This record gives sequence, C-alpha cells and structure tokens, in this order.
Amino acid sequence: MKFTHATAVGAVALATALALSACSGGASGSGTPDAATTKDSAVDYGSLKGTITAGGSSAQANAQAAWTAAFQAQASGVTVDYDKSQGSGGGVTNWLNGSYDFAGTDAGLADEQQTEAKANCGPDGALNLPVYLSGVAIVYNLPGVKLQLSSATVAKIFSLKITTWNDPAIAADNPGQSLPASAITVVSRADGSGTTANFTGYLHDVQPSIWTYPVSTAWPVKGTSGQQGGSGIVNTVTAGTGTIGYADHSSIGTATAAAIQVGTGTDFVEYSAAGATNAFGAAATATPQTKGDLLQKIDYAKITSTDAYPIPLLSYDVVCTTFKDSAQAKLTAAYLGFVASKTGQDVAAKNAGSAPLPEKIQQDVAASLKLIK
Amino acid sequence: MTDNTTARPPLTSNAARSGDSDRGPGALKPGAGTSRASARPGDAVFRWLSTGSAASIMVILAGVALFLIIKALPAIGANWSTNPDLSGGTTAGNASFWQYVAPLIWGTLWSSLIALVLGAPVAIGIALFISHYAPRRLANVLGYLVDLLAAVPSVVFGLWGIFVIRPFIIPFQDWLNEFFGWIPLFAGPVSRTGSTLLAGGIVLAVMILPIITSISREIFLQTPRLHEEAALALGATKWEMIRLAVFPYARSGIVSATLLGLGRALGETMAIALIISPSLIFSVKLITDSANSQTIAANIALNFPESNPLQRDALIATGLALFVISLAVNMVARLVVRRSSGAPRRSRKDRA
Amino acid sequence: MSATATDTVRAEKPQGVPGGGRPSGPRGPGPNAFTSGQLPRFVELYTLGVALLLSGAVFALIGFSIAGCLVTAALIYLVGIGVLSTVVENRRKATDRVVRSLVMIAFLLAMIPLVSTLATVVDHGWASMTWQFITGTGGSVFDPATLKVTVVQGALQAIVGTLIITGIAALISIPIGILTAIYLVEYAQPSQWMPRTVTFLVDVMTGIPSIVAGLFAFALATLIVGPKAFSGFSAAIALSVLMIPIVVRSTEEMLKLVSMDLREASFALGVTKFATIVKVVLPTAIAGIVTGVMLAISRVIGETAPIFIAASFTDNFNANPFGGAMQTLPVMVYTGYKFPSSDIAVSYQSAWGAALLLVLLVVVLNLIARIVARIFSPKGLR
Repeated sequence: MKFTHATAVGAVALATALALSACSGGASGSGTPDAATTKDSAVDYGSLKGTITAGGSSAQANAQAAWTAAFQAQASGVTVDYDKSQGSGGGVTNWLNGSYDFAGTDAGLADEQQTEAKANCGPDGALNLPVYLSGVAIVYNLPGVKLQLSSATVAKIFSLKITTWNDPAIAADNPGQSLPASAITVVSRADGSGTTANFTGYLHDVQPSIWTYPVSTAWPVKGTSGQQGGSGIVNTVTAGTGTIGYADHSSIGTATAAAIQVGTGTDFVEYSAAGATNAFGAAATATPQTKGDLLQKIDYAKITSTDAYPIPLLSYDVVCTTFKDSAQAKLTAAYLGFVASKTGQDVAAKNAGSAPLPEKIQQDVAASLKLIK
Repeated sequence: MTDNTTARPPLTSNAARSGDSDRGPGALKPGAGTSRASARPGDAVFRWLSTGSAASIMVILAGVALFLIIKALPAIGANWSTNPDLSGGTTAGNASFWQYVAPLIWGTLWSSLIALVLGAPVAIGIALFISHYAPRRLANVLGYLVDLLAAVPSVVFGLWGIFVIRPFIIPFQDWLNEFFGWIPLFAGPVSRTGSTLLAGGIVLAVMILPIITSISREIFLQTPRLHEEAALALGATKWEMIRLAVFPYARSGIVSATLLGLGRALGETMAIALIISPSLIFSVKLITDSANSQTIAANIALNFPESNPLQRDALIATGLALFVISLAVNMVARLVVRRSSGAPRRSRKDRA
Repeated sequence: MSATATDTVRAEKPQGVPGGGRPSGPRGPGPNAFTSGQLPRFVELYTLGVALLLSGAVFALIGFSIAGCLVTAALIYLVGIGVLSTVVENRRKATDRVVRSLVMIAFLLAMIPLVSTLATVVDHGWASMTWQFITGTGGSVFDPATLKVTVVQGALQAIVGTLIITGIAALISIPIGILTAIYLVEYAQPSQWMPRTVTFLVDVMTGIPSIVAGLFAFALATLIVGPKAFSGFSAAIALSVLMIPIVVRSTEEMLKLVSMDLREASFALGVTKFATIVKVVLPTAIAGIVTGVMLAISRVIGETAPIFIAASFTDNFNANPFGGAMQTLPVMVYTGYKFPSSDIAVSYQSAWGAALLLVLLVVVLNLIARIVARIFSPKGLR
C-alpha cells in the first residue's frame, strides 16, 4: 500500500504517540481499545514482561515483524527481537547455543540437531512448529506476455536446457502469445536460502528426470546470474528484460509472477493464499521427531487439484520443551501461541502476504505449546 | 636497550639526568623547566603506556588469530568427500579444503588487482592535483569532498553499484566484447544484468579511492618546501619538480596508502556480495554473469547464514586464508619500500 | 632595431629553448623574448575545443555515446597537446603539459563517481528527511480492529546506536592506535622483536574481513557473559579490531614525516622526550593523524556484518551498550534493502533515508575533526 506524503504525515501524527508508547515499553496500552477481541487464549498478555530474543529464516521476516508489532501492542511489557539476517542455519546454530529463545527455520531440525537439542532442551527435545505458509513465485519480465509454465518447462528453463524465449516448449504452454527470440536470463540466489531448498525440492519431486540436481539451500546450477537475497532477484528481474527468477511470493512486490501447471494436465494456477493452504493440506505428512513435534514432510508430487498452488513454502519456529527459566518459557509460549492463533495468522496474511495455516495445524500447535515448561 | 644509530635522538635519560645544571636562559618554560622533577616519572609513564598499547595489540591479534585457527582446524582436517555436513550446500563437490579455497583466493586477488589498477593511479593523480595543481581554496574544498566519499558506507556503494553502475555499464561491456572479445578478459557470454566483475571492480576502485587519496595528499603536502623550491629554481618543470622532490619523499607513504586501500579491497564484503554474480571457479573474465571468480569475504557473507557448523568452520578457514594473503601482500610491499629507499630515511633527512 | 631584436632572440637560445623564436620583422613590436619558444597562453583550451569538435564529429558519424565521445576527446587532446608542445617547445615541457592534463583527467574522472554517489544518496534519501524520521524511533502500530500493522519510519534508534557503538570503538582504538604508533616510531629500535611483531600483526590485521572480526568479538563476549551476549559493546569490540590497524598505520606514516630537526631542536633545549612527543611531534603531525583517524571511523561506521553477528538485530530503541541488541544506520540500510516489508517502496525509502543520515553524520564528524586539528596544529603550519 503506497502512502502519499499527506497521508503519511497524517498517519504519522496519529501514530507517533502510540508508537512511542509501544516502543519505549511504557505503561499505557492506550492504542488498543478492544484488546479482548484479539486475545485468543486465557493468557493475560498485559502481565507479561521480558525480552524474547530470536532469529533465523528470512522468509518469515515480514510475518515476524507483523506478529511482533501486534503482540507488543497488547503485551506492552514485552520486547521481541527477531534477527532475520541469520538465515535458517544461523538461527538454529544460535538457538542450539542458547542465544535464542526460538529459531525460525525453513527446513525444520535435522535428526542430529534434534539429538543435540536434547542437551539444551531436556529429554523431551525440541518442537518444530509450523508457523508460516507462503508460496514460491516464478517472477519474470517479458513486457506484453502473460506467462503460463508447465512444470517440465520450469525445470528445463532453470536447468538451462531451454535458452530462448521462443522455444517450442514455452510456446506450447502459451498458445496464442507472441514470444520474442531473445535469450533467457535466469536469476538465482547467490546466498544459501530456504526458498532455494523449497524450489529445488519441488523440481526434484515433480520432474526428477529433467531436474537431476540435488535438493539444497545452495543453488546448484552453474551459469545463472546469482543475486543476494530474494529482493536481489526481484530487483534484477524487474530491471532487466527477458529475465526470470524465483522468490517468496510475499516479497515480489509489483513484479509479475507466472501461473504454474498443477498436476499433469493443462491447468495453470496463480498464487493465492487459499491455494497455498490447500497445497499444504494435500502435500504435508506429519513426521514427528518427538512427542508434540509437528515436523512435516512435503511431497510436491501430491499437489494435483486446481485449487492448490503447486509450489508452497513452509517455515517453522523451533523451540525447546524445557527452558532453564520458566518465566521465559511462559513468555515464549505466549508469543508462539499468538503467532499460531487465528488472529496471528490473519495478521500475517494481511501484512506479510502469507497464507493462514490450516485450522487443524493451528490447533495442533496450540496443543503442543502446552508441553513447554 | 642501547641506541646504536647516530640518527637516534639522545636518550631522554641524558636530558633528565642533567638535572638542574642546564636551567639556563635558554631552557624551555613550563613543560621542561619547572616540572623537571616530575618529568622523569611522567616520561616513564608515557613510555610504558606506549609500550603497553603495542603489547595489547599483540594480545588482541594473537587472540583473533588463535580464535580463527581453533575454529578453522576441524574444517581443514575433515574428509571433504565423505563428511555429510560438507557434501551438501555451498561446500558440495570439493575433495578437500584446498580445492574449495583455491578459486576463492584467486578471486580475491584478481578483484583486488582490478580495483587497484583502476583506482590507485586515479587516486594518486587526485592527491597530486589537490596538493600541487589546484588553487588553494579549491584544494581545501576538494579535500573535504574526497573525504566525504570515505564516509559512504559499503552497503550504499553496493546499492549505488546495483542501481547506477550496472545499467550504465551494459553498453560498454557490449562494446568491449565486440572489439576486444579476442582478449580472454573480455570474452564470453556478455552479461545482460550487469552483475560482472567489471562493475564490481569499478565500485571497489571508487571505494578505495578516498583512502589512498587522503593519505597521499597529506604526505604530498608534507614535502619540504625548500626541496620543491630548490628544484624549481634550477629550472625544473612542475612535473620534474614533483618527480625530483615529492615522489622520493613520499614513496613509502604512497605504498602504505596503497596497501591500506588494498586491505580494504581484499576484505570488502557487502559491495561485492550485492553486485557480482559469483561462481567458484578460476576465471579472468570480466564481463560475464556466469564466470566471475568469487572473493573470500563475499563468499563468507553470502553463505554464513545458511551453513551448518562445520561449513561455518570452513568459511572461517577461508577467512584465515585471507589473513595470510594480506600478510603476504604487506610483506612484499614493505620489502619493495625498503629496497627502493636505500639507506634508512631518518639519516637522510636534512642537512638544511 | 632588427639587429638587436635578432640578437635578443639568439641570446635566448642558451637558456634551453631549442625551438627558437619567431623571425623578427622590421615593423611592429618584435617577438617578446620571454614568451618566444613557448606555446601561446590559452593553447590548452583551444586544443581541448578542437578535440571535442573532432570526437563529436566522429561520433556523429558512427553513433553517439557521451562516454565514448569524452574518452576520445581526452585521447585526442592528450596526443595533440603532446605533439604540439614537443614541436614548438621541447620534450620536457611537453611531458609537463601532458602530465598536467593527466592529473586533471584523473581528478575529473574521480569527481564523476563521487558526484554520482552523493547525488544518488541525496536524491533518494531526501524524501525521508522529515523531523519525525530523524527524532522518532522506528516502529509499528497495530490496529486490532483491522489487523493492519502500520510501519512508522523512524531512525532515532539507529542514530543513537551508531553513535554509541562507534563512540565506544573509537574510545578503545584511538588511544591504543596512536600510542602504538608513537611506540613504533619514537621508542622502538627496528632490530627489536617487539616492534617487528607489532608491525607484522598490524599488517595482517589490515586484511581481516569484517565478518570474522564480528565472530571473534561475539565469541569473546560469550566467554565473558554467557550465551546471550548480543550487545552494543560486543559490536564495538569488533569495530575496534577493524579500526586499530588503520589508525596505527596512518599515524605511523605521519609521525615518520615529522622532520628530525624539530625533535633534535627540542631535545637540544632540554625538553624531555614525553614533552617533545606531546608538544612538538604530535601537533606537527596532527592534521595527518586526524585524517587517519577519520578514515578509520568512516570505514567502520559503515559496517553491517559485525553488527549483525555481535549485536543481533532489533527495531527497538536501546541505549544500553551492555544490554541486548542494538541497531545502527548501515544495518538499517541493509535490512531495508534486503528484507523489505510488504510495502517495498517504503522500505527502500527508509533505507535511503538512513544512508543519507549516515553520510551527514560523517560530514559532521569530519568537520569537528578538522576543527580539532586546526586548534591543536601549531600556528604557521598551514
């Protein structure tokens, strides 16, 4: 939403007092008249005090910012610091060291990490809690063309088997559109990324014969243009012509995203929040590591119905079951409870462009949070 | 501790030892004269302060080096082909640590060389302009402006590189490839996004410019005026005067300035990570997207977040390699300075 | 009359003007003895004009491009003035003219990116320069009725964080750096092991990547404080590790440049070494030392990676260097660009605003530094 200067001044004038009181951790919650309608559980947010230190996945960054703002507005004695620069790997490493109260990660804990976590988190280990759902968008810049891509074409483009826009495979997916003869410039991530892991996972599940590269956080194909950050990809794609890249849908701004084939037919689906939620329901199987754990395995090949977006992206918050400080445990559980609640998911959907988690998962998360002590 | 070179100033203990006997008409006021009794302890205190600072630097650096070595050893010693942590992600496909770090070392040296070749002559030229060619007031203003360039953070240079340099350089790259494509430097599929080593090199050159210029300028300004005027009086042109009087005086300082600039180029992280599309290969190509050698610092910045602990150790090990590189470069430079300036500078100073 | 004129001309020759003067004529003023054998005064401008015209003509034929036109003009000008000068004057003067032109070109070449960078920062960041932005903490406002989170742009937490972290780093590194340089130049013998080791280590330190400095500082802080060691002070330690080599190196060079005469004169008058250093050597070198210090501060004030690693990330206002995460201006720029909120344009806007603030901050610090240098500099030394 773009602000004109005048609206910005007005909003800023209105918001200054509220912002200052919220940010300085002051006493009055004057900006939240209907606090009762936004609380979901019996937790008394007003009585909570302290600081939550966390960090990890940057895919969750905007959602965490929205959750932090909403939570701090109601629990004015609490400060939440989420460091999005650490990445999933860095977040988990810091969390295993004890520097973070929870970590955001796109992949969930590996088995060895779960074992290592037991040293810090007690014998019941750690919980992977799904909190963020979005989709991987294929962004492109071809003026005048509305692109539809089958999964085979996507795999061929991104593995550099197709190199020009007027290739017969692309033309077959887009009947009736005139495609230029220029070269395709594929833009990928130069840094490690959970988005890359999700995207390569999709390609590996759905087109294993064409995409023979491993699933990994590091982009495996040589010869593409590597950029730093999802915003780097979006910038480079929009600045050039004939460019194509992939990014978390919530970060693409005004760039155009292609519609992707779902299943094996001729149905092409654009991204929508409902589409991501449905995709999650179709593709996710629970593979818990410990009691209360909600780790999911995503099989992209299971997404076949037209109301689902074929490339969903899931991100977790991992948290110990046993904290050294029980007040901190209560605080973190309250925050995560808000995050996974209906209100929290709606806040993220509205402000960060994510898709709300399915209801069942929300309830599962709430139940798992009760295990934290 | 004895002093054995004639150029050394007399030991303070001599001056202090002479006590009251030279409180004559020529003796200095307050500092030396009246506080003579406390000059000795003050002197010793100051000496210990300086020595202590030097010692603390040694401790800090030894600490950093130790920290790095301890963290890096597990990665260097691990078996890269079989270790599951190292066979995926950013370190995949390498048989050993040396295979991983070699292209990075090349990339670091190559990009710094480009930056130095593009930036150092221009920087020295500007320093010369400010100190000798520009009118006085203009020189002051220009000095401020160049120092301002040092104020711009590297992230902003990265953004400037992305939004300004990249689109600007694409037609130039096409031109280079068209006419000079037979030179390996300008070969290869020309980038359409501008994320090339040439763009990065230009931005890097602009970043090291203020460091080299500022220090060189200060050094040029310190040339003894007598030497300059003597050269001019003998009929030298301005350039000859600079060659005769300024450069010999400033040689060691210019090398130091260039080294500091090189140090910045070697360690520059953000600008390169934002601008250049990296690959872990040995390459001299300057204008492609897909054949740009990656630098050590940018590689660490890009891959640190998503690395598992052993990969982090590997990245820290590459940081250690960077240490060794800058050490080698610095040593070579100091050797060059010592070799070319002959006798120690101090004894050559002034019979005027 | 003509005889004396040619005599004067001939008399010029032994002074090294082999080109000779123009033949004198019986009418009108004879050739000016002082300017014969030299190119006329504005020859450089004329040559420049001709070069521009020529290259403009060439490019009008083959397709116009401003950069190409300027480069060709410069080349034509250099060649032209060199040849012209060699023919009319002599080789030495030609070299002098060509070098002067090269230096001017270097200067103009450097001005372009300088102006471009500053113009970009000012152009993009100016729109953010509202009073609210500078004095207000960034944050968000949550409206429970619509569930909308409105982001309030504010940079105060970043400004305060920058000043605190850089201030502590400067407080640590400037004294250590200057004192070490004094030790290396004034007290140490080149043959001892300690100055050689210190020089070696300082050389090594110049190449440290900033992210590694951040890791070291965080590890050190973790040893002292425990796992949750994110703090402004840890970041300041990281920055000092980066600053010290620059300060030591440049101060060392400046101190070496102070003439031995001054020191010896001071000792001859009976001044102690300490007083000599503090009252004679340092003030003489102060301008250069201040430049070196400002360079070091400028270098570290713009660092992002060590701040992330050692001081984590936060949007909240925190003025306690020992308590928790702190934000600085370059971190604000970086996160605004790399992790924009769903309103990308507003995030970028905020990032450029922070960049402009940072540049302004360093300008102010620079000015203060120069005033300090002028106060302590001895009179009569520029």
